Amino acid sequence: MQPILKIDLTTGKSEEYRIPEQWEKDFLGGASLAARILYSSLTRELDPLSPGAPLLFMTGPMTGTSGPTTGRFVVCGKGPATGLWAESNIGGFWGPELRAAGYDGLWITGKAEEPVYLWLNGDRLEVRPAAHLWGENTYATQEKVRQEIAEKSARVCVIGPAGEKQVLFASIMCDNGRMAGRTGMGAVMGAKNLKAIAVRGVNQIPVYDIAKYKPLRSESNRRLHDDNEAKILREVGTSGVANYAEYLGAMPVKYYSRGSFENIDNISGAKMTETILSARSACQGCVIACGRVVTLNGDKFKRKGPEHETMVGFGANLLNDSLEAIVDLGELCDRYGMDTISTSNTIGLAFRLFEKGIITVKDTDGTVLQWGDVDAIEQLVNLIGRREGIGDLMAQGSRRFAAHFGVEEEAVQVNGLEVAYHDPRGVSGMALSYATSPRGACHNQSDYFFVDWGHTQESLGITYFERQAQAEKAANVAKHQDWRTIFNAVVMCIFANVEPEMQVKLINAASGLDWTVEDMMNAGERAWNLKRAINNRMGLTRANDKLPKALLAPFPDGGSAGFVLDFDAMLSAYYEARGWDLETGRPLRKKLIDLGLYDVTQDLWS
Amino acid sequence: MAAIFPSEEWLQGLENKLNSDSRYNEIAKNWEGDLLFLIEPDGNLKERLTFYLDLWHGRCRKVEYKPEIANYPTPTFTLTASYKDITSILMGKLNPMTAMMTSKLKVKGSMGYMMRNVPTVLDFVRVAQEVTTEIL
Repeated sequence: MQPILKIDLTTGKSEEYRIPEQWEKDFLGGASLAARILYSSLTRELDPLSPGAPLLFMTGPMTGTSGPTTGRFVVCGKGPATGLWAESNIGGFWGPELRAAGYDGLWITGKAEEPVYLWLNGDRLEVRPAAHLWGENTYATQEKVRQEIAEKSARVCVIGPAGEKQVLFASIMCDNGRMAGRTGMGAVMGAKNLKAIAVRGVNQIPVYDIAKYKPLRSESNRRLHDDNEAKILREVGTSGVANYAEYLGAMPVKYYSRGSFENIDNISGAKMTETILSARSACQGCVIACGRVVTLNGDKFKRKGPEHETMVGFGANLLNDSLEAIVDLGELCDRYGMDTISTSNTIGLAFRLFEKGIITVKDTDGTVLQWGDVDAIEQLVNLIGRREGIGDLMAQGSRRFAAHFGVEEEAVQVNGLEVAYHDPRGVSGMALSYATSPRGACHNQSDYFFVDWGHTQESLGITYFERQAQAEKAANVAKHQDWRTIFNAVVMCIFANVEPEMQVKLINAASGLDWTVEDMMNAGERAWNLKRAINNRMGLTRANDKLPKALLAPFPDGGSAGFVLDFDAMLSAYYEARGWDLETGRPLRKKLIDLGLYDVTQDLWS
Repeated sequence: MAAIFPSEEWLQGLENKLNSDSRYNEIAKNWEGDLLFLIEPDGNLKERLTFYLDLWHGRCRKVEYKPEIANYPTPTFTLTASYKDITSILMGKLNPMTAMMTSKLKVKGSMGYMMRNVPTVLDFVRVAQEVTTEIL
């Protein structure tokens, strides 16, 4: 592995950090290796927005090698809204550029006295003033930094005004629209007075055995290109699945209170393709190209089109059936640098509280929050991004926003992270995905909705259970999480339908490991348990593994109407499958020892 | 009418059922597109099998068993599967969405149209399953 560059923003000093060889073998890279590196520094007492909080940008062994969907990197730390392990992965081209500069990661600590940005040009690091950029939106910041450093080829990841103001779900953007959206890593960056990181690298990206790797890369990319799921994503984007999700009653509507949206045809990926799509975009080396570029009526400019979460969040979730408005709202969030899931979810909560009379026009400075009112939605996005009025409360995330009004149970979140838009009443495996994810209610730690739709992986034993089956699928969910943990270590997009046997060959050729598929799955399980242990040490117990009230009530309509989850039974079956203590929720001593996590065993059980 | 798959009688039975099944007629009322199936040999199927259906607004306008592929150069969808996988779908042993998402059923055509019309696709499979009494 290449070294990690450790930068202390308080002193402005930097040093190379070499990763212990055994950690590479046990954790591979990406979020898994980041968890190992940060394990001891993520304590319960650590304020995630303090100078002492670490922020680790990590790549993986295939980042930038043009392997199947491997142009990604991940940003890790402690979540400011969750107080738990945080990771947020992101595509684009910045990660490959960092590796070409000679580093596999950037480990940021401390806090700059004044706003700064970093300019890493090969092995030369400059800390530059950024006070003049403070307040600029994400798109403008990237352009201005590139102009200042006079390097058009540099890749720049940035925060927007939301990160500066420490909106707890602020994101990090690179490459004009690729976002590390979840868990508020943009707020951590803002708390360090770090506006941007520009990177330029010209080195060959290291691959352990390029002769072996090249034909594997070609074959896996060829298969991926022709894969049905990849075709769907290329042709109609991630929101191309919207019609099917709505048909099943697996798409939350009106802040998780309904399971059917009659106007779904107006906003789906198919509609976007037929009306406003002008081009497709891809991350480095990706043959899928799920990114959308759209042109609105009468508009000369090309914009980023919404992906599935943004489409549902600002569409069905708020009873808005204007695709053009969804494009605008998604872009507005991107300019502020805010996660569209958490933003739209928290706005949905505000609408719900207004409907119930828990908040009134006194709280909203006169704005009536009526479902589907695009102007009201836009106003709330602006207030959150600027932390003004009620937006200042909402910027703390849905859990704290609801708690402020004494109704925490109304917030559709798990451990402080807002639930994404795949409803477990229609795809029950998501109940466990959300409740046990190490970063809060996340759909990327295990996108089990795909399995519940029928996307099995039989060679790993990930088989099909009926979409509303419950405890019987718990072990299947655990296995899927272990596999996806490997994706987050590689760092590989979960849309890459690459067979595990091919995946492990690629990993071995790229890294020099000699893994079997079983070794790969063990590494996934090891990292999943390590992240669990990090959270246990920060106070997480079984009581945290729960679903919000709204998801435990039946939908009144749609394809999953009337279905009620037996969540406790699912969770107990999951703990059994995991080898976790049924009372405390900690991985059992034997499990930790089997996984080689000896120091963790000491910490959790001594 | 029920029949053994694959056979001309089976395809005829499928056409009849598609035209008489009120549930399918309703769900598929907006569907516009013809299907060319290419079944690759394995097991009891010794050579490639082709069959064609023209589906329009909840009705089946035409079927053809073992057509010349050249006669249908631009079908709305060309669906390719192994004999084992297509028979597993017809016998209800393989979820059609699993077949599609794992590319056991290869799809050539507009995936957007397919995803928008999944209920129609699934109901078409239901009808085909109901017609199938036996596999060769």
